[in-house]
Amino acid sequence: MLLRVAAVLFICMPVAFLIATPLHAAHQVKLKPGASGSECLRCHEAFQKTLKSPSVHPLLKSGKCTGCHDPHTSTHKNLLISDVTTLCNSCHKEMVPDKARSSHKIVVEGNCITCHDAHGSDNPFILIKTGNALCVECHQDIATQTNQAAFKHEPLQKGKGCLSCHNPHASARADYLLKNEVAVLCKECHKTDRSFFVGRHMNYKVTDSSCDSCHNPHGSNKSGILYNAIHAPVAEKNCNQCHPDPSAPNALEPKKKGVSLCLDCHKETITETFNKNRVHAPLTDNVGCLNCHHPHGTKEKKLLNDTQFKVCGTCHADTVALQQWSIKNPKNENLCEPVKTGNCTSCHSPHAANNVLLFQEENISVGLCGKCHEWETHSTHPIGEKAIDQRDKNLTVECLSCHVGCGTGNNPWMMPFATTYDLCTQCHVERKR
Amino acid sequence: MRTSIKIYVIMTMGLVLILSATSSFCAEELKFKYITSIYSDNQEGKLKQPEGVACSNDNFIVVADTGNGRLVRYTFKDSLAEPLAREIRTPQIKYPRRVEMNSKNEIFVLDGKLRRIVRLTADGKFNGFIGPQKASSPSAYAPISFQIDKDDNLYILDIFSEQVMVLGARGEHRKRITLPKEYGFIADLTVDDRGRVLLLDSVTARVYSSTANSTRFSAITEGLKAYMRFPADLTTDTQGRIYLVDRNGSKIIILARDGSVLGRLSAKGWKEGLLSYPSQICINDRGEIFIADTNNNRVQVFVEIESQ
Repeated sequence: MLLRVAAVLFICMPVAFLIATPLHAAHQVKLKPGASGSECLRCHEAFQKTLKSPSVHPLLKSGKCTGCHDPHTSTHKNLLISDVTTLCNSCHKEMVPDKARSSHKIVVEGNCITCHDAHGSDNPFILIKTGNALCVECHQDIATQTNQAAFKHEPLQKGKGCLSCHNPHASARADYLLKNEVAVLCKECHKTDRSFFVGRHMNYKVTDSSCDSCHNPHGSNKSGILYNAIHAPVAEKNCNQCHPDPSAPNALEPKKKGVSLCLDCHKETITETFNKNRVHAPLTDNVGCLNCHHPHGTKEKKLLNDTQFKVCGTCHADTVALQQWSIKNPKNENLCEPVKTGNCTSCHSPHAANNVLLFQEENISVGLCGKCHEWETHSTHPIGEKAIDQRDKNLTVECLSCHVGCGTGNNPWMMPFATTYDLCTQCHVERKR
Repeated sequence: MRTSIKIYVIMTMGLVLILSATSSFCAEELKFKYITSIYSDNQEGKLKQPEGVACSNDNFIVVADTGNGRLVRYTFKDSLAEPLAREIRTPQIKYPRRVEMNSKNEIFVLDGKLRRIVRLTADGKFNGFIGPQKASSPSAYAPISFQIDKDDNLYILDIFSEQVMVLGARGEHRKRITLPKEYGFIADLTVDDRGRVLLLDSVTARVYSSTANSTRFSAITEGLKAYMRFPADLTTDTQGRIYLVDRNGSKIIILARDGSVLGRLSAKGWKEGLLSYPSQICINDRGEIFIADTNNNRVQVFVEIESQ
């Protein structure tokens, strides 16, 4: 029994010690007395200058180069004691809270040196750049939008810039690294109880609403930084077109449910939609148009809730995954353009259609694929009504007999099989080897 | 010391053997056989994108020949499907997407274009509508699927009011079952041999159930996206097994009564036995499985082979 206990302790104790000890502490080396980092600086003279920077990493400052580097040998670049993506996290675990609502991708991936210099810099927190200039390195699209906006959001231009609203590492309270929920965050500057604010919002009690439902926090070309793509009733301040009177207890609820809400203004589109054989099912539920479109404003065209690709992917994640997989396939140089760009509505009608899978055209080969691939309709392979598919007597040979419209993962030419041989011998069985 | 180690090793090996033997005895082995395909009516008129198929225990089948806007009836005996003389076309049915039969072989059809349930006599004559009669325009009633149980009660899945409406055999209101609180998109429902109402969430590939006396649903599976792409239809057999039609994945996934995954049937393809964007599935008491193989323009029939 004693022997067993000894064996368990023999195995467990070192493991427990390793877990409990930080990485750099575990990597102590025996330098000669008083040597410390000064030994390193004898050769690495450039760091003498770094040490004089206003912002220096504490380990370097205290001469503990061996906190991150092995003086003799390492399997990692720059003689680091572990991979650069895990090294910082061994000390700076607190950067991402346990139950973070959102976290910065580069932080999660451990690419800290994208923003920070590992040794020292002239900027606070050893950042490689200061202010918005740092964020713009990656978020160029937002920078362009902000710079071109006729109406700018002041906090973005002054003071902390992006960091006025966003945390750089993670947020425990809100999405998009926001410091707090939108309604709470905006109220830090905007006094919602003032009569000016109330009047501008047509007396609707929007103090607890998400301001980014109508306003673009990064600036826009519309007064009041309303989204560039703004629903006409919002732009015209006709909120009561869709909402009850502001004094009503349910003033912020829509007047009607489902597609009926939109029917008064969009009668023609909706009637046309509902006269088709197949209506896209979400349109018929009690959310209706708002399953995909935003009632106030968005960054996207046609008031879509997000990019078309993401909106469709909300329900059709499987198809989007296939599309993504196909894009990454090196054999798929000739991937169909709509698949490449995630433009689902090139082939499918998002509201309704008379055809299966909401195809815009009944005749797949000529009507649908032929819109882009005109030459393919003159293919030497028989296609069309007279060409019966050898695999199924009720099918004719169409483009989709040999290709899959939404992508085929690792197969080339959007084929459902890995090789043309496998495909062709489906029908040409006599050629099977 | 050595003796105690020997005993420990023997006991461990014994336990491993017992566990592996138990699991092999408990595992349900499912095997299916392809029987035949139905391609046309009695005039050699081809089926076009059929989305619905209903089967009765007395050898009748009704196919919702969606692309042709009609119903076609067959008898199915000794693995042979014989079309009945007359197709069913009525002005009340424009685009049939789902079909069911009750115990008297009366036919119930969900029309996709008009979004209403039509009741027909056993020989195909119009016999009224089920539920509100609103057509063509948006309404506060959106039946997306329905099912008939063994007592001829009708269960209508209304995604607008987020409920399952239960009607008696004569159309009288019985009860409402509210849809679960959080779901992606509920596409279909069925009723099993014990009167449980089962719901299928296409987006999360999750199955919900409500016992015969309950007015609430609770999930009986986790999201099953690892097994399927976009399930759109479900049914059960006489043993309570649940069959999910994976429309985008072109296959059938079979679950045990408790929601655990048992296996799969068929795969994507064009040849007989394979499926392309299948829709409705129906299983009769003899275990014959009828699948509307929509994009292959046919109905396919399978049967379970008895476990060895």
